[in-house]
Amino acid sequence: MDPHRPLIEPGLEEPLLVVEPDGRRREKLPPRRWVRTRLFNTWYNSLITVVLFPVIGYLAYRGLLFVFVNARWSPVRQNLTLFMVGRYPRPELWRIVAQMILWSSALGLAWGAAVAGARFRADRAGMPYREDPLLARVRRYWALLALLGLFLVMTQSYGPLILTIAAIGAGAALKFVGARVPGPRAGLLWVGVGILGVSGFQIVSGFHGNGWVWMGAPVALGVVALLGRVEWQSPSRQRLVRFGAVAGVFGVAYAVYAALDLRGVGWDRWEGFHLNLVSATVAIVLAFPLGLVLALARRSSLPALRVMSTAYIELIRGVPLIALLLMSQTFIGFFLDTTTPLSSLTRAIAAFTLFTAAYVAEIVRGGLQAVDNGQIEAGQSVGLSPFGVTRLIVLPLALRAVIPAMVGQFIALFKDTSLLSIISVADLLFVRSLVHAQADFRGFGIAETLVFVMLGFWAVSFTMSRESQRLERRLGIGER
Amino acid sequence: MGGRRSAGRPSGFLANNDDVTQSSTDQKAQRHSDVVWYRNVRVLRLVGQAVAVAAVVGLVWWMFNNLVNSLDRLNINTDFSFLSRPTDFQIPFDEGFDPGSSVWKMVLVGVKNTLLAGVFGIVLASVLGLLIGIARLSSNWLVARIATVYVETLRNIPPLVVILFFGFAVFTFGPFPVLRDADQLSIFGNTALILSNTVWGIPSLIAGESTGLFWTAVLVGVISAAVVARWRTRLGERTGKPHHRVAFALGALLLVTVAGLLIAGDVYSVSWPELSPNGRRILGGFKLNFGFISVAVALGLYTASHIAEIVRGSILAVPKGQSEAANSLALSSFERYRHVVLPQALRIAVPPIISQYLNLVKNTSLGVAVSYAEITLLTRSSIGNGRPAPQSIAVLMGVYLVFSLTISFLLNIYNRRIQLVER
Repeated sequence: MDPHRPLIEPGLEEPLLVVEPDGRRREKLPPRRWVRTRLFNTWYNSLITVVLFPVIGYLAYRGLLFVFVNARWSPVRQNLTLFMVGRYPRPELWRIVAQMILWSSALGLAWGAAVAGARFRADRAGMPYREDPLLARVRRYWALLALLGLFLVMTQSYGPLILTIAAIGAGAALKFVGARVPGPRAGLLWVGVGILGVSGFQIVSGFHGNGWVWMGAPVALGVVALLGRVEWQSPSRQRLVRFGAVAGVFGVAYAVYAALDLRGVGWDRWEGFHLNLVSATVAIVLAFPLGLVLALARRSSLPALRVMSTAYIELIRGVPLIALLLMSQTFIGFFLDTTTPLSSLTRAIAAFTLFTAAYVAEIVRGGLQAVDNGQIEAGQSVGLSPFGVTRLIVLPLALRAVIPAMVGQFIALFKDTSLLSIISVADLLFVRSLVHAQADFRGFGIAETLVFVMLGFWAVSFTMSRESQRLERRLGIGER
Repeated sequence: MGGRRSAGRPSGFLANNDDVTQSSTDQKAQRHSDVVWYRNVRVLRLVGQAVAVAAVVGLVWWMFNNLVNSLDRLNINTDFSFLSRPTDFQIPFDEGFDPGSSVWKMVLVGVKNTLLAGVFGIVLASVLGLLIGIARLSSNWLVARIATVYVETLRNIPPLVVILFFGFAVFTFGPFPVLRDADQLSIFGNTALILSNTVWGIPSLIAGESTGLFWTAVLVGVISAAVVARWRTRLGERTGKPHHRVAFALGALLLVTVAGLLIAGDVYSVSWPELSPNGRRILGGFKLNFGFISVAVALGLYTASHIAEIVRGSILAVPKGQSEAANSLALSSFERYRHVVLPQALRIAVPPIISQYLNLVKNTSLGVAVSYAEITLLTRSSIGNGRPAPQSIAVLMGVYLVFSLTISFLLNIYNRRIQLVER
């Protein structure tokens, strides 16, 4: 260091501090000063900058040349539908269109409900509530929007554009409506989210069979929440009415599903990028309760439960997922005495679920360990039962702390769905080999299709990982 | 009253409540035994565990029963004698393995290839990850930005896709020529490097007569280097003068090794790779097949992005006061990293990095996609023809469990040492 350099350079104004929408602070310097402090602050940094600029420039030039001039995008452009839904039966494609719109509505409603809830809580705490400006949100989701834009540019018809506009419109409308629901009732919107989500799934898979369980669950939760608002004289009567209502909801759902019996397209015919997204979501939804139980068992004071759950977790975590998947394909049938063999995808999703549950259990265990002992003792001192302490105090604190890690696990699972291609289930990656089996594209545009597949996985994982980092910061700020 | 456990292991508050009640006065003990049995915590605990154990045992027994029934029905044998029978297939790029070799040998080849790709990947991932993790914190905007782009790109792509990219876009259909007219690079009149789209040839060393003597000398060198380093450290501590222990130790090692090399004489001879006359294979040298390169490089690059994040996080986790203290001692920025920040950061970083290593070793199983002959691929292709699936997969799982248990054992030892240091 130069001993003669003054600590504060005279003549230069102080750097401005800019507070970003998410609460991070950033220095904002005038351009000349920025270049001097960020690129040429020491002799070796100057050297690195001078050497790296041409290298980066050349690489960028080669990259752009590849993307816009040399690359042969025709295998991708002519097979976009194949990449998205695989060999899914084309006459039934309207189901997936409807699913997109329903799920987009569910997301919009969820967003609206979150906003309404946050505004309600802020009002109650006497704090001003400020929503992020639209531009900040566009910046947050730029990777997904870029993927969507690229997709629309590559299509050769107007269908996808119309679908995109319809889906985004439906989502935005429901978000608008949801955000204006008065705060105390915002919680009930989640029932709507659940119903939209389940019906989005079942519009493809069909409203039949065991579907009533899934549709009944959000409705029953909503009914229970509604009943909770009524003042009851005796708790036993309340319990009775609640039980009757839940049973009634499931009974009606069962009757309706038995009467409707609308067949759809079974999920073993879902393929392409759609399958990657759906199977990751299904597996994490199924793995979460299993992981929760495993984590509680591993932390419990009952030695038998602890030993069994530890053995399961360590066994699964020690083995690569691909070995489990191969096992599920080759000889899971030996273990289950079923007359009708399960479809390849069902077995794969079972393997994903069992695998992810072990990792979810470790994440939740981390959250459980982080719960302050004082909280537990406080619960005991007001006379809660062990079960009550766990349900009312430990779990809410622990689960809130593990949300970012759970998002990380979901990203890992989503990336792992690419392994479906190894067991010949036609996910996004496997569709590539279908494309290259076509006479026109044999050995043609190999790198291009791979780049497209990478982009598909990357955009989703990147956006989610950014969101999880943001969530982590927010939760961290809340704890301070 | 009998069954009070006096085990020292602390259990949940339920157990503690029990203990408190029992170690109190007789009156309380009396009240405790008054509780109806179906409200008695100890009975409930026992019943709960018994039910859980019964459920799990029942499930396992049911599955095992089904398994035995299915195997009987399909006439599949249930012992491990298939391990010593011949495989009847060849492993590509492995000349020491012929169809007559036993399944047991196939497993060993698989384990060897898994470890080989794993070790290369780990070395690449560690070096690259450390560099990129530090680069992300660089004060140079350009360097930090490049590192960020690297991490955010590689971390969010499935490793399988990265492996396929190397296997297909770089090798099979990539810019490299087929083996018959491979690129050859010569040094000193010998072919030093053969680059084709399926296999690369690099020079290798062939052990001579006195290789054992040489390695003994190296061992002696390492020991003497350790002794010298310790002597210099002691001297430095006593006199306060710069100890230069690294330079001295390396000097000692080099001295002994060179002496060993001179005494032993014929230690290693170089074997140069050479294209066979018909252009179908490479003779001599060390052959790297494209599956190995794809798996090792792709997993190295992919895991480097995770390690970089760990390194960055651990550097940021070192309290800021440490850096400021180093600055106030007028240490240079290199010295600050070398002596103050990195030693503390590495202590935080080592456990998660080791679990990344474990992930990398497990991910070598993705070599299936580029037909790299590691243990998973070999197991999969050997199943059938009298080699039953359950036992084969049991062997496969056993191999991976040995890997992961070894690594977590080492990790636990390390963690215990760290904890002792902290106390």
